[in-house]
Amino acid sequence: MTTEILEAAPAGTVAAADFDPRVEGQRLIKDWYAGLAEAPRRGQHVANVFVMGNAVEILRAFDFQLVFPEINSLQTGVRKASGEYIRLSEDYGMSPDVCSYVKADVGLMLKENEHPVGRIPKAHLAIASNMCSTFIKWAEIWERWLKVPTFVLDLPGQRATNWRVRPGDAQHAADSRWVEAQFRDLIEKCEKITGKRFDIDRLAEVEERVNQMVFHWNNVMALNRMCPAPYNAMLDGLTYIGIMNVYRGAPEGVEFMRRLERQLKAKVARGEGRVAEERFRLLFSGTPCYVSMRRLVELFETWGGVFAYSDYLTFAAGGMDAGELVYDTSRPLESLAEITALAAQRGLSNQFFAHERLEQQIRDYAVDGIVFHGIKSCRFVSSGMADTRDYLNKRLAVPSLYIESDLIDPRYWSDAQIKNRVDAFFEALNQRGVPPPGDRKTIAAEAGRAA
Amino acid sequence: MPHVHVAGIDIGSTYTKAIALNGNREVVGTAVRRTGFKLAQAAEGVFEELLKASRLERSVIAYVAATGYGRYTAPFRHTQITELTAHAQAAVHLFPETRTLLDIGGQDIKALKIDAQGRVKAFRLNDKCAAGTGAFLEKTARYLGLTTDDIGPYAIRSTKPVEVSSVCAVFAESEVINHLANGIPAEDIMMGAMVALGGRAVQLMRRVGLEPGYMLAGGMTRNAAMVNALEDNLKSKLKVAPDGLGQLNGALGAALLGLRRVEKLIAEGRPIPPTAAQQGQTDTAARRRWSAQAVKKRVEPCTVTGSCPVVIKVLPQAVAAA
Repeated sequence: MTTEILEAAPAGTVAAADFDPRVEGQRLIKDWYAGLAEAPRRGQHVANVFVMGNAVEILRAFDFQLVFPEINSLQTGVRKASGEYIRLSEDYGMSPDVCSYVKADVGLMLKENEHPVGRIPKAHLAIASNMCSTFIKWAEIWERWLKVPTFVLDLPGQRATNWRVRPGDAQHAADSRWVEAQFRDLIEKCEKITGKRFDIDRLAEVEERVNQMVFHWNNVMALNRMCPAPYNAMLDGLTYIGIMNVYRGAPEGVEFMRRLERQLKAKVARGEGRVAEERFRLLFSGTPCYVSMRRLVELFETWGGVFAYSDYLTFAAGGMDAGELVYDTSRPLESLAEITALAAQRGLSNQFFAHERLEQQIRDYAVDGIVFHGIKSCRFVSSGMADTRDYLNKRLAVPSLYIESDLIDPRYWSDAQIKNRVDAFFEALNQRGVPPPGDRKTIAAEAGRAA
Repeated sequence: MPHVHVAGIDIGSTYTKAIALNGNREVVGTAVRRTGFKLAQAAEGVFEELLKASRLERSVIAYVAATGYGRYTAPFRHTQITELTAHAQAAVHLFPETRTLLDIGGQDIKALKIDAQGRVKAFRLNDKCAAGTGAFLEKTARYLGLTTDDIGPYAIRSTKPVEVSSVCAVFAESEVINHLANGIPAEDIMMGAMVALGGRAVQLMRRVGLEPGYMLAGGMTRNAAMVNALEDNLKSKLKVAPDGLGQLNGALGAALLGLRRVEKLIAEGRPIPPTAAQQGQTDTAARRRWSAQAVKKRVEPCTVTGSCPVVIKVLPQAVAAA
């Protein structure tokens, strides 16, 4: 897939000016929020879901309006309003150590669902999973406060060195049967809530659209192997992944991804990069700091540093990060269970085996350094970083930087401290020396072809 | 090029330090003053004092390299460098065998792993807790009625340091008050605080990777008790620059990097670039710390202004290294 893209990039004939992914992405998110506010008036049923392990395909087949509480919380950060929501939940009695996404959502409930973007409707159903233990506690809060019926998906998975689930093996078959049985329960529950019969053809249609989105998404990520990188994985990439989640399985999502890929291909063909002079290619590992993301990216881009890749774009894509995860639409429910079981494994293994995955991505994207971003809110994604960093430094001698803040809690952003670390990191990179841009283009392209 | 002079200015969170070098990398003057609230003013003030101390005209200083948290606030700078890069450069200049460097500053601690050329291989800074910084010791001293300069001589008399275990500076201060209430001698409390700080500093060095060739830089080099606490924890000797130069390590590194830049420009026949102010980067000149907004009364200049303990004109090590 990757080789095809790199060799068949169009010769700049496609006009990119007609499509601005940032503007279009913002418009789609705005439309989605407008749709949320309108859902009660339309009599549409509403479901709260997380971005990982969420059975969105089934919910779409029942025409649920989807609410992503994680995205609601991060949007309070993007709109510089998260401090107020977090304070409300802490006034209520939550500890400063609780995940700030949860606290912003509790703040939202305390503000009677008044979000900076609009009113968030009350859900008729909430889906949680064991992909993150906080999800389960979070859903319990909805259940207690708002009396929202909750369905917790149990996605099996073991953890051990060199342990993997492979598609089709006995373990995967057993896991898939277990997940499928839960999906059948969920379908019954959805039928009761909505009063509609389950339509398996509708599920197949949704899955087909997800397949198309995944195809384009993988191409979009692969295009950033080119030097200069056409987009910044931690700024532009966050908009793209937002669409991947919110419009997963929706026609608008397919169209956005198709046009995005076309626009980026044209950009690559013209040799246009995210920054005027790309001096350092970087990999961002960890979750973003939505409240200061623009500032963080600015700190790196003033040095000519671009995030060519971020593992956030894979693990936050709800398991849609790998080409082999394609739904077999001739048996939609079984295939959904098989892929959900695999995606759950992959999502968690991405944390457990992060060093191996990053080692590959360092080569694929020809990066000069890695930036680890630990966050106060989530020790699950932050605690393994020391090991990974140590492994990569010793094994590959790749320079790395560790910075710490939070997803959306503005109190954890310390500008002077972070700027000092970023500046020192680039001074060290400068002293090491990097290949000139001409050589880098070849290296990146070869890495892409090899993949 | 002995006729060439450069200056390095380290605008730190607590002190602003300056050093002037001649073309032979010899120290011709130094100055230190409290940073206070107005960073640009502190930079300007220390530069004036430096010129006086080194008996040089402003026009003679060909190049100024600024470092430290306030590095962007000196309008007369030609370049700015982080203190990590600057410290590493000065460390190998003073002690070529240095491989692991520790700098204890007013508001943070830095551990650096460096190579023989003074390039930073890796660095770790303390997290956002103040319990691992010089400011923690200053606050402890204040509770005990001591001045900053008294800390070292006082603590060195301790025979039985008490444990100050809290990882939080504010809670640690509560512990200090509790120890005082229990009749523990002040010197044992002060030394206990130093042992706690030393433990955190050495932990940071371990995180960056301990490689023999240890050096200590920063204002703590003036404090013999702190050096002892660190060496006890590390179970190894730390190199410390003589004659108070440890506090000026960042400024020295900036000056050395500045001089190297000047030498390159001269060798290539290129002119010295304009200063930040000449380039129109004056926006930072008037920048104040946010806390200055809250201070209504006038802040008097520190009485120790210009009283830098460095008296030497030329360092024997510097001559040897050059």
